[in-house]
Amino acid sequence: MGAYLTRRVLLMVLTLFGMSVLIFVMLRLVPGNIADILVDSAGIADPKEKAKIAAELGLDRPIFDQYLQWIGGLVRGDLGFAYVSERPALEEIAPRIPISAKLAGLALFFSVILGVPLGVISAVRQNSAIDYLLRIVSLSGLSLPSFWLGLLILMASVQWFGMIPIYTNEPRGFIDEVLLLSIPAAAVGFRSSALIMRLTRSSMLEVLRQDYIRTARSKGASQTTVNYVHALRNALLPVVTIIGIEAAFLVGGLIVTETVFNIPGVARFLVEAILWRDYPIVQNLVMLIAFCVVVVNFLVDMAYMALDPRIKYAD
Amino acid sequence: MRNRLAIIAGGLAAAVVISAPAFAQKQGGTLRVSHRDNPPSASIHEEATISVNMPFMSVFNNLVFFDPKEKINSPDKIVPELAESWSWNDNKTKLTFKLRNGVKWHDGKPFSSKDVKCTWDALRGGDDKQEMIRKNPRKVWYKNLKEVTTNGDNEVTFTLEREQPSFLSMLAAGYAPVYPCHVDSRVMRSKPIGTGPFKVAEFKRNEGIKLVRNPDYWKKGRPYLDAIEFKIVPNRSTRVLGFVAGEYDLTFDSDITFPLLKDVKDQKKDAICEARPTNVHTNLLVNRDAPPFDNPKLREALVYSLDRAPFSDILTQGNDLRGATMLPPPAGVWGMTQDELQKLPGFGPDIEKNREIARGLMKELGYGPDKPLKIKVSTRNIAIYRDPAVILIDQLKQIYIEAELEPIDTTIWYNKVQQKNYQVGMNLTGAGLDDPDGVFYENFYSTSDRNYTGYKNPEIDKMIDEQSAMTDVNKRKAMVTKIEQALLKDAARPPITHGVANTCWAPAVKNLVLQHNSIYNGWRLEDVWLDK
Amino acid sequence: MAVIDHDAALAKAGANVTGFWSQAGFLARRYPLGAVGAILVLLFVLTAVFANVIAPHDPLSTNSRASLATPGGTYWLGADFMGRDMFSRIVYGARISLAVAVGATLLGGILGVVIGLMSGFIGGWLDLATQRLMDIMQSLPLLVMALVMAASLGPSLENTIIAIAIPLVPSVARVVRSSTLSLREQPFVEAARAIGMGEIRIAVRHVLPNTLAPLIVLGTAQLGSAILTEASLSFLGLGIPEPYPSWGRMLSESAAEYVRTAPWLVIFPGVAISLTVFGTNLLGDALRDILDPRQRT
Repeated sequence: MGAYLTRRVLLMVLTLFGMSVLIFVMLRLVPGNIADILVDSAGIADPKEKAKIAAELGLDRPIFDQYLQWIGGLVRGDLGFAYVSERPALEEIAPRIPISAKLAGLALFFSVILGVPLGVISAVRQNSAIDYLLRIVSLSGLSLPSFWLGLLILMASVQWFGMIPIYTNEPRGFIDEVLLLSIPAAAVGFRSSALIMRLTRSSMLEVLRQDYIRTARSKGASQTTVNYVHALRNALLPVVTIIGIEAAFLVGGLIVTETVFNIPGVARFLVEAILWRDYPIVQNLVMLIAFCVVVVNFLVDMAYMALDPRIKYAD
Repeated sequence: MRNRLAIIAGGLAAAVVISAPAFAQKQGGTLRVSHRDNPPSASIHEEATISVNMPFMSVFNNLVFFDPKEKINSPDKIVPELAESWSWNDNKTKLTFKLRNGVKWHDGKPFSSKDVKCTWDALRGGDDKQEMIRKNPRKVWYKNLKEVTTNGDNEVTFTLEREQPSFLSMLAAGYAPVYPCHVDSRVMRSKPIGTGPFKVAEFKRNEGIKLVRNPDYWKKGRPYLDAIEFKIVPNRSTRVLGFVAGEYDLTFDSDITFPLLKDVKDQKKDAICEARPTNVHTNLLVNRDAPPFDNPKLREALVYSLDRAPFSDILTQGNDLRGATMLPPPAGVWGMTQDELQKLPGFGPDIEKNREIARGLMKELGYGPDKPLKIKVSTRNIAIYRDPAVILIDQLKQIYIEAELEPIDTTIWYNKVQQKNYQVGMNLTGAGLDDPDGVFYENFYSTSDRNYTGYKNPEIDKMIDEQSAMTDVNKRKAMVTKIEQALLKDAARPPITHGVANTCWAPAVKNLVLQHNSIYNGWRLEDVWLDK
Repeated sequence: MAVIDHDAALAKAGANVTGFWSQAGFLARRYPLGAVGAILVLLFVLTAVFANVIAPHDPLSTNSRASLATPGGTYWLGADFMGRDMFSRIVYGARISLAVAVGATLLGGILGVVIGLMSGFIGGWLDLATQRLMDIMQSLPLLVMALVMAASLGPSLENTIIAIAIPLVPSVARVVRSSTLSLREQPFVEAARAIGMGEIRIAVRHVLPNTLAPLIVLGTAQLGSAILTEASLSFLGLGIPEPYPSWGRMLSESAAEYVRTAPWLVIFPGVAISLTVFGTNLLGDALRDILDPRQRT
């Protein structure tokens, strides 16, 4: 067990290290660097000024040195300076995390309270009309681009309510914030709710076919008890894992949704930093996302091990 | 009961109207403005976009300023700002300013002649004095500036190489604020210090810019507003919705295109919208140093191929202005009249005839309907560049040119142009100042940094210098027209149309005067007040 | 895992039929949603292939008089700001989407198969190294990975396909690797080895065909996600550039400018994306039920 944990942690560190090399190299393959962009924004192309800026930012140094400086700083908790704002990258990134985290949390909340019950209903009523309907709805959830869904919501609310549910001012108070974030969260959450629903359904179906459910039934437990107590409890395990993984993968949905709803979160910031070649921001954000994914995967495995006695990890 | 209320209300209204003149301008309030994107930085001297000028001009002062009450910037409408007065020496090569006393920077340090010297030494591109700015897009404006000298704290003299009547105009433009000597350039880019009516309270990427009233402003009783908030909203639809819903009092400059104008007017009946030329014009970049457009005949064919009406019809529902490089009258001070314009190659009203000329040239070069010339039209990958490029490609079919659009990542656009790695480019050129010195030196003079096509023509250089020294306005205007003709003949950035767009505000916003020959000037906002 | 025998599977399911059409008919009755999906996908493919026949206008040609024309009349689905026919653009957009979906899925699939086969069959340090590489690639969400790739490659059709294909590789490689591992010890592989067949030949002739079923299921799912990823990338300005009529790019332009003045510009491209992805998802579900009974939903 201890050895397994050590191995897992080492693998995580290895993965993150690999990611750091990968992202660092990939960013430097991008045509045009920040010096080009800064000079370009002024509508000029003076090679002397460009070289000066590049030197100022340390871009003229060997790529290996640049990498060492970044990774060395990262280990010490120093994320370097954002190129565009010229402020510490940490100060630029940190304030944007809570809002994205809230949005993701809310989206996840929606997707669970929608996905799990509907998945159960769908499984229990397998091949009924409602099952078909729910399956179509869930598939459509996987098919609609979340940014388009967001746009439709925007258009509808303007058309029918004469209001725009976008983020223009900092919300006043908790209720205000929840209301403001609910709509984009629903747009993001719809997709994950579809995933969760499908998974709940299939894992429910699997469990319902198992022997012990038949036993419970033959012992005279009522249909409802069987469905909701015995089966659901066992079916939820894989669902919990997908919820965990979705939490990290919501970032993808957040990127476009934050753009549509004008939310100053960390996901949209990533896109802008990429467009501006603001390496310190992009690198650190990518590492943050990778870190979340890796840790969540780890936690999910741990949860699995704790919850499912059948799984044992060889030392 | 209702009647009585109505009477009371009427009485109140009457009282307000009667007392209005006495309290015409109200103090206080926050002006809320929508902003289209993240300004690249807050340093006006280092940038060349309205995204910087509109929010940050009110942080600074110039020595002199185009009278903000006038709609047209012109050399005879310049008022003092940090300078109390100015005078020329006899041969018009020394310009001396007497500076205002007791002016303070936002950090409390006193303003003096040293700051003026510092700023223009940096802009002039003095070898060692560049710490104040790291990019200098308008260096060529000060090509003729020999030195800046101080005489005590309150007097500064600009010495010119030769006579240059437009020099004062350049100092009066929005692009000529005075910077503090003692502040690091990094600070100037993120939270700049000025002497202006508003101080920067906050500049947050993706969110907004907040300016607050400078209580120690040297102009007594100004500004009226307590604060100005710019909210960054990259999506135009969203910005317009926000304005219609009353979230903003003022739209971003020129943000309301003509297709949108009707919608705004329908949804917000009391909105005040003003259409005005942006002094930004679309033009073609032609790579004359590489095949196939190293052939002057082919360049000429290109000049004759353009039908400007569809550009104008699609881009601004026919509201764009026809002009050459200089903004045409009435808003433009130096541009050609429509009559003069019609005589330029490719500007004549008979498009078919023009295109016949173009096709003739193409046939001479061996092209034809069965043997079209295949080229790429490169442009910046953003809508305002791409849209006209798509229209151009459609038109080039008429003269046996099959063109393909090559959208260039906006970040490497100038780079690519500068390396001459293109054939034809669609370009936008904005004039920070409606003045031939500003426009010609910046875009066509062989040594300019913003002449990124690398256009080098000694004759044009000579003519530009010549007009620059002319004091007789009419003679100078004639020279300007001559330059325009020569440029067009040489297909140096053939102009297509001059943009016109709307800026809208709520009726509560008072005293806002938009300037009609440059969007980059006139955003001091010290006289604006809110009637709320 | 056994070799799939479709006829046997059909017979077991109670289909007493032979011939393509009757088999298809049977499947359609048994999997009605899958049939709907197949029809949608077929429509999509036909539209893409015959775009030049179907589209009434040139999707690129501008017309100042038709700027923002409302749907109906000459322009069934209206026209965009530059007076280009929306219907024709959407029809041609199917080509882009198909090219990206098939291109990215195939490229990702082939790379994944090669990596998975090598890693599973050769094993050792190679397996270890590729597994770690796959770990690294999977530590970023698909869109984030594609975003970084697209930015570093620059906007073009080919680059977009690559940017979407690479993030798809790990899941394919994993599936192939695990099948390979279990197949490696199977008697028929041992037998092939015994008669002196080369390793590569064994891999290609005996192992690969047996991983086909899960691959087809995975591939169908990836078609939809490739289309969605392309739409998102183009929406963010990093995918297919103008003047190509990519559905995502069409949405991004109109979303920024015409949500209010020309809502049809926002609605129709979105409908096109959604219907296509919906079709591939329906088909994918049915294929999974047919080909891979263990993962039945």
